[in-house]
Order: sequence, then C-alpha cells, then structure tokens
Amino acid sequence: MNPLLQLKHVRKEIGRKTIIHDLSLEVFAGEVFGLLGPNGAGKTTTIRMIVGLMGITSGEVLINGISIARDFEKAIQHVGAIVENPEMYKFLTGYQNLIHYARMTTGVTEERIDEVVQLVGLEHRIHDKVKTYSLGMRQRLGLAQALLHRPSLLILDEPTNGLDPAGIREIRDYLRKLAREEGLAIIVSSHLLTEMEMMCDRFAIIQHGKLVTIESVQELSKQIEKVLFTVEPVEKALQLIQTRYPHINITHTDQGIEIPLDYKEIPNLTAALVDGQINIYGIQVLAKSLEERFLEMTGGNEIV
Amino acid sequence: MSNLFSLIQNENMKIYRRFGTWVMIGLLVLASVVGAVITKTTYREPADWKAEIASEISGAKEQLKEKNIQKTYKEHLQQQVKINEYRLEHNIKPLQSNTFWGYLVNSADIISLVTLFTIIVAAGSVASEFSWGTIKMLLIRPASRAKILLSKYIAALLFAVCMLGLLFLVSAVASAILFGIETIREPYLAYQNGTVVEKNMVIYVLQAYALNCADLVMMATFAFMISAVFRNQSLAIGLATFSLFIGPQITFFLAMKFDWAKYLLFANTNLTQYIDGMPMVKGMTMPFSMMMLFLYFILFNAIAWFTFQKRDIAA
Ligand SMILES: Nc1ncnc2c1ncn2[C@@H]1O[C@H](COP(=O)(O)OP(=O)(O)O)[C@@H](O)[C@H]1O
Ligand SMILES: [Mg+2]
Repeated sequence: MNPLLQLKHVRKEIGRKTIIHDLSLEVFAGEVFGLLGPNGAGKTTTIRMIVGLMGITSGEVLINGISIARDFEKAIQHVGAIVENPEMYKFLTGYQNLIHYARMTTGVTEERIDEVVQLVGLEHRIHDKVKTYSLGMRQRLGLAQALLHRPSLLILDEPTNGLDPAGIREIRDYLRKLAREEGLAIIVSSHLLTEMEMMCDRFAIIQHGKLVTIESVQELSKQIEKVLFTVEPVEKALQLIQTRYPHINITHTDQGIEIPLDYKEIPNLTAALVDGQINIYGIQVLAKSLEERFLEMTGGNEIV
Repeated sequence: MSNLFSLIQNENMKIYRRFGTWVMIGLLVLASVVGAVITKTTYREPADWKAEIASEISGAKEQLKEKNIQKTYKEHLQQQVKINEYRLEHNIKPLQSNTFWGYLVNSADIISLVTLFTIIVAAGSVASEFSWGTIKMLLIRPASRAKILLSKYIAALLFAVCMLGLLFLVSAVASAILFGIETIREPYLAYQNGTVVEKNMVIYVLQAYALNCADLVMMATFAFMISAVFRNQSLAIGLATFSLFIGPQITFFLAMKFDWAKYLLFANTNLTQYIDGMPMVKGMTMPFSMMMLFLYFILFNAIAWFTFQKRDIAA
C-alpha cells in the first residue's frame, strides 16, 4: 500500500536555528497517526510544512505522491487541516464560514455542508455568529471546515485542546470511525501520552525537533516487563530462582517475587518451582506501562 | 482549483459583513448630504458675474505680458481668456456651486474620504487575516497565494468603485433636491484645437472624479503593499494616510529646490496640475506622470506579491 503522506528527510531552519532535523515518516490510509512531543518540540512546525504554510529547508513532503512544495494546489486538494487553534471569522456565522471555505474548493454542495454540520453536531447554532461560540463549538466548526471537501488526509493539531473528557472521547471515537470506515489517513498531534494511547494506531515521538521513535500502540502495550510469582515459602523459592538465573535482578515485594523474564521461560520456571516443592498461588504477567516505556525512550524527559 | 470569481466573492463577504464597513458607508453618505446642505445655506452668488469675468480677463492679460512666464502656464492663461470671452459673448454664466452640476463637481473633493476608507479596507485585507489567525485556514486551500492576493486587491478596488458610485449618486440626488435640475442643460466650455466648444457637463464631472482617483488607486495600492509586507493593519493605515496628507507638502518643498523631485510619487498623483497648467516641476507632462504612476503601481504590486508569495506563515 502506498503511503498517503510521506516525509523524506525534512529539515526546517529558521534563521540560524534548526527547528526540525531530518524527519522521515509515512502515514497510511485508514490509520490514526500521532505526533507526540512536549511543547516546543516542533509538532506545529512539522504540520505547517506538510500543509505548505512554511517552506521546507531541505527534504520533501509528498501527499498522495505529489510534492507540496512543487505542486501545491494539486497536493493540498485532498487535505483538510486545523493548524493550532481553529480560528474562524468571528463576525460571520458558522454557516457563512463554511460557505467561505466551500467556495475555495470544487464540488462542495449545500447538501454536503448540511451533512457536515450534522456530523459535528452544530445544527442548532450554525446560523449564529462565531463570536458567540464556545471553544468546543469552535473546535467542531474547525473540524467541519476540515472535512467539507472529503479529504483523504486529515491533520489536526492538538484537537483535544480545551475539550472536556467527554469531548475528547467523542473526538476519539469519531476519528477512529473516519479512519476505519472512510479510509482517511489522520494525523493528530498532542503533548499528552494518554491521548495518543487512546486515539492513535501509531505515533511518532518528537523531541527538540528530532524523531525519537515511531511506536505502534498495540505492540507497545504487549511488551512484557516482569512476571510476578505468588509463592510459599518465599525464602526457598528465592534461593531456587537465584541459582537458576544467577544474572537476573530479582525483587521481592508484598505481592510476591518479580522476575524480568522472557515469555517462553514462564512454563520452565513454573515446572522447576513445582519440582522444588513450592506452592504456587499465582503467576501474573506485568506489562510495562506505556508511561514507563515512554520515559525510557525519551530519557526521562518532561512529557506528561 | 478555486476560481478567482469565488475568491472575490469571499473577500466581498468579509468586507460587507463587517459593521465597520457600514459605518464608513454611512459617513460617506453623511458627508455628501451635509456638504450639499452647507453649500445651500452659505453659498452667495456673485452680484455681477460679468464684471468678475471681465476683471479676470484683464488680470490674465496683464500676466501674459510678463517675460519669464512658464510656457504651459502661458497656454493655460490664453485658454482661460478665450473661454471667458466666449462666456461674455454667449451669456454663459460660470458654474456656480449652488447648482446641480456645480455641487456635483465639488463633491469630487469628498473623494479624499473615499481614499481614506479604501486605505482602511486595503490595509486590513491581508493584515487582518494574520491578526485573526485565519490566514492559516485561508492558505491551505487549492488556491495559489498569488490568486488569493489578487482577489483581495480586486475586492479593495471594487470597494473603492462602489464608494465612488455611491458618492456620485448621493451627491446627484442631494444636489437635485436642494438645488433643482433646471440648470441641467448648462454646457461645459472646453478649449479644443484653438476654439472654444460647448460640451455636456457630465464629461466635466467625470473628469473631476477621474483626476482625483490617481491618489486613491496609488494610496490603496501602497497600503495594500504595506499590509502584505508587514502584516500590520495599523502600520499600513498610518503610513498610507500620513503619506497621503504630508507627502504632497514635502514633495512641494523638494520640487522647489530639486529637479529630481518629479520622480517622486506625490509629484505625480495630483493630475489636476496639468488642467491648471501649473506642473510641480517645470517640464512635467501628463504622459510623464501617467508613466511614473504606472511604474509605482507595478513596483508596489510586485513587492506585495513577492513577499506574500515567499514568506512562512508563522502567525
Ligand atoms: N517563526 C519562528 N521563528 C523562530 N522559531 C520558531 C518559530 N516558530 C516556532 N519556532 C520554534 O520552533 C520550536 C518548535 O515550535 P512548535 O512547532 O510550535 O512546537 P510544538 O507545536 O511542538 O509545541 C520552538 O522551539 C519554537 O520556539
Ligand atoms: Mg503546537
């Protein structure tokens, strides 16, 4: 499958400062892809380059295989985006705002506008002036303008900013639906790991303008950290395990004995414990939390 | 791909859906009506226009006797003498302010207000998108930046055209009501190929409007350029209005000392100088000024276009 969005060795310099260093990534149709990083990491700058608001110092951005720098109008045609806050014309109504953006593309009918308004749940307030809208309503209107022309790539910069937990959940479900059912490629940025975990299939971690790693949420949560054995008598068991794995760091907690162990070793150790006349009350796999993995990857840095 | 017409429609929506625009429109109507009322109440017709014209003729003839008189001014005086003599001969009263056409000609002075309002609109059209933050929504559509800029420029000029039309219309109506239309057949005396000819007065009014528009177009373009380059509406309004009011004075002083002053923008914006036969710098002609205005026009637009085209949008 061809990626819908490709970043190839993208660099951005402003003045003498390098803000993005050699960033490469690919986003595919049907997935929600996250850009995770603390404030000032370069998420918005990256998005600005993708949508052509900022020039690319070196490297290339391809949307559907078309270079945004060389063939802007063609490449941007299938992109819907909110960059930073969804700023709208406050002196116009929500509907007039949508008309404004509908006129800038081809093939957006009045029915489509109504459909999108329904979709984001603004039908009761769409003919009110935007200056009377709450932040949440502006986010919805922002989403509506981004979806108007049925884009195949949707880019949302910190979409959960200013939303309450219910709103966040709603957005999450909605994005997943768009990706699964309509096959959109969706990029969301956030400085919150928990949000990435909730919303994304994969996410890139960016720090100081550099790509740290790209992770799949599913795989990440599968990685085993430790196995917890609840046994009796503890002293005897400790001895047995220590002689069996002399180089492994074993900890003894209130719950039992925690051993960093490979998946395949669990049956072997269980058999050995049974052979050693030790009573086993429980065996529990302790997955390393995303948070811990994350701290590890970023060197314990400041992301919440 | 967006077409230019839709983009202009968008810009118009953003101009006319704003309260401030309607305040400007209201002020323009008010200025035109108040101007007519003031003229009605204060203007006093000369008791004996024939005597005044006669003294004008003799005054001009005195001046023509002087040796070191500028050639263009001399021609201008000679024409005036011919026209005034024609007046006396055919009993055609000079245009009075308290007549239908007289007030309409004077209403061309209110164009400076249209210029000011157009400066405000032009200065806002790019800069406001930046201050509202909507620029990043606007520029991620399948429309080139050049096209968007052009649509904004055209919308600003359309605004000027509408305001001029409105000014003309309101002034005509106010004039007709306050001064009556009995004098509507009054001819305009023009000097053509050595003879005086009678023409329809509407030509004279349109000429008065047209001559005042050079300023309007140039300052709107200047404000538009500042707006696109600095993305700051106040700065654009400030610089453009400051130039509009102070520029001609400075140019006037420079023109007294230096010949190169004729290349300055404000030496050329006032095209009535050629009608009055008194160009700011000796040797300047209407085609020369037209040429200079055209060059400045190209320059302003090129700067606006180039900076808008290239820059990163970081707002
Ligand atoms: N126009 C600019 N000029 C100079 N530095 C900038 C500019 N825009 C952003 N930066 C810098 O680039 C870095 C990344 O910013 P940004 O992309 O906004 O981060 P994020 O969206 O991840 O919070 C920050 O250190 C910021 O100070
Ligand atoms: Mg940001």
